[in-house]
Amino acid sequence: MDFDLENPLTTTEGCQNCCSFEALFANESDHMPSNSLFLSSNSHEELRISLRRQVFSLISQAHYCYNVDPFVTYLAVNYVDRFITKTKNLKQNRWIVEIFAISSLSLAAKMMNTDISDSLSNLQRNEGCFFEFQSIHRMEALILTTLSWRMRSITPFSFFNFFISMFEIKDSSLIQALKLRASHIIFNSHHEMKLLEHKPSVIAASALLCATHELIPAEFSSFEAGIISCQYVNNEGLLKCLSVMRDMEEGCGALLSSSTLTPWSVLDQHYEASEEGDSVKRRRLNDFCSDGMYQFSQIQHC
Amino acid sequence: MEKYEKLEKVGEGTYGKVYKAKDKATGQLVALKKTRLEMDEEGVPPTALREVSLLQMLSHSLYVVRLLCVEHVVDNKKKNGKPLLYLVFEYLDTDLKKFIDSHRKGPNPRPLPASQIQSFLFQLCKGVAHCHSHGVLHRDLKPQNLLVDKDKGILKIADLGLGRAFTVPLKSYTHEIVTLWYRAPEVLLGSTHYSTAVDMWSVGCIFAEMVRRQPLFPGDSEFQQLLHIFRLLGTPTEKEWPGVSSLRDWHVYPNWVPQNLARAVPSLGPDGVDLLSKMLKYDPAERISAKSALDHPYFDSLDKSQF
Repeated sequence: MDFDLENPLTTTEGCQNCCSFEALFANESDHMPSNSLFLSSNSHEELRISLRRQVFSLISQAHYCYNVDPFVTYLAVNYVDRFITKTKNLKQNRWIVEIFAISSLSLAAKMMNTDISDSLSNLQRNEGCFFEFQSIHRMEALILTTLSWRMRSITPFSFFNFFISMFEIKDSSLIQALKLRASHIIFNSHHEMKLLEHKPSVIAASALLCATHELIPAEFSSFEAGIISCQYVNNEGLLKCLSVMRDMEEGCGALLSSSTLTPWSVLDQHYEASEEGDSVKRRRLNDFCSDGMYQFSQIQHC
Repeated sequence: MEKYEKLEKVGEGTYGKVYKAKDKATGQLVALKKTRLEMDEEGVPPTALREVSLLQMLSHSLYVVRLLCVEHVVDNKKKNGKPLLYLVFEYLDTDLKKFIDSHRKGPNPRPLPASQIQSFLFQLCKGVAHCHSHGVLHRDLKPQNLLVDKDKGILKIADLGLGRAFTVPLKSYTHEIVTLWYRAPEVLLGSTHYSTAVDMWSVGCIFAEMVRRQPLFPGDSEFQQLLHIFRLLGTPTEKEWPGVSSLRDWHVYPNWVPQNLARAVPSLGPDGVDLLSKMLKYDPAERISAKSALDHPYFDSLDKSQF
């Protein structure tokens, strides 16, 4: 009954090969936020965007500062995005940002069968917020109801095996390297709200193509042609998504050569500029930077 | 739970009590299943979360009973007041067991119409194919778990036997012995990893039961169950089922020879018998899949456009 982002539909022992990609493609739209809500520009949407940024930032901290697995944080952000676009009367204050982040992380960890209670305690201690269990459970219940208990999210990682099988690569270490690199690209670009309009399969295909371009550039054209010919993939969307992702990757490389900033600190600085700076945020920025080793390993691939 | 008016207790499902109830706002009839899943200090238990979300994903098919919502309910009668989870499913008026019974006994015993059997089997294979395409085995398919809407001629799979939080392998919630009649031989012989083929064996047994109006292999112990199977299909050999004699619970059995399967289902035509024999293959690897079954000639005369 375990849940694995790469195989969200495979749940039972001895049943590794029976789940079909048709089911994944058919259901993926149920697991993405309704993108239009993030793109319009009235004041309510600004609230959504600002809430998403703040919750995202806090959830990212759980990964960078408290070692929460990036797949868990990815899943938590998926819940956040879907919740935000399904909720009409959003309010925003620090308390909501914090309990929303913590409850989403807690649900994601339960789905992935990992215990992150120590990380969540540390996160709360550092943020200076302590929630009673009951409050977290009420928020969990609200998220579950709002998402109709559809917690087995189909994410880009679910499509890696499908696309890689199209590439006909025989070298298993190369397959692993491509998946690893594409995963990093997806994690690094998760803050970008322009990508929210794309289906998980399109994000997966774009990330794999970016990874191919870096690791085995000679194969790029043939892999791209293969994906474009795939009946399930909308080509216009793919090219758009690929272009956003490549711009981000290139931006990442430029940053690395010009300064010590990381994508995360850039992101956080962006908040500083757009909102009132306060000591909490500054402290968070410092926390990101203090984890320099890990960030370097993230960014050196960029 | 004020949203619903409980009308009557309709059964004791694998999870616990099942009530027929009415949504007060819409008048819609629902089946309320009280689970034994208590919220504890960690909130929604992880197993419940994973399993309910799986049910939610599967209930998208027309051939799987729809999970309408999940309610957290605080039981005020209990002192500790821990919230319980209720699963709210769509309500169907009967199940395949009652449907077959009504054709066997009662005021008007008669065979199930051949077209009805064909249509029910097709819908069952559709539902099973849906579960299998999502990597989920049912593991406890039986007529009681197949809900039927008599007027519309619809059949849906219910009680998806999921993991530890819901199912108890041998005894159900009410300590009723779980039936072995639909259990695949590899399960009876203690195979440790079994596959989608276990469900197709059950589908075969259910198919035969619709034709016969009585169970095909009514064993009352695991040993008796195997003997029922062997007497009709012959004692399996290494030739037709490689690896059978190394299964954990394999013993030396009398050497029965296969009987003519058509005689067990006398009113079924040759295409039906052929499909049944493919569902009852000993070697799980050779047993027909739900998806291939849908393309079997037995269904050629069925108007598939209605599904």
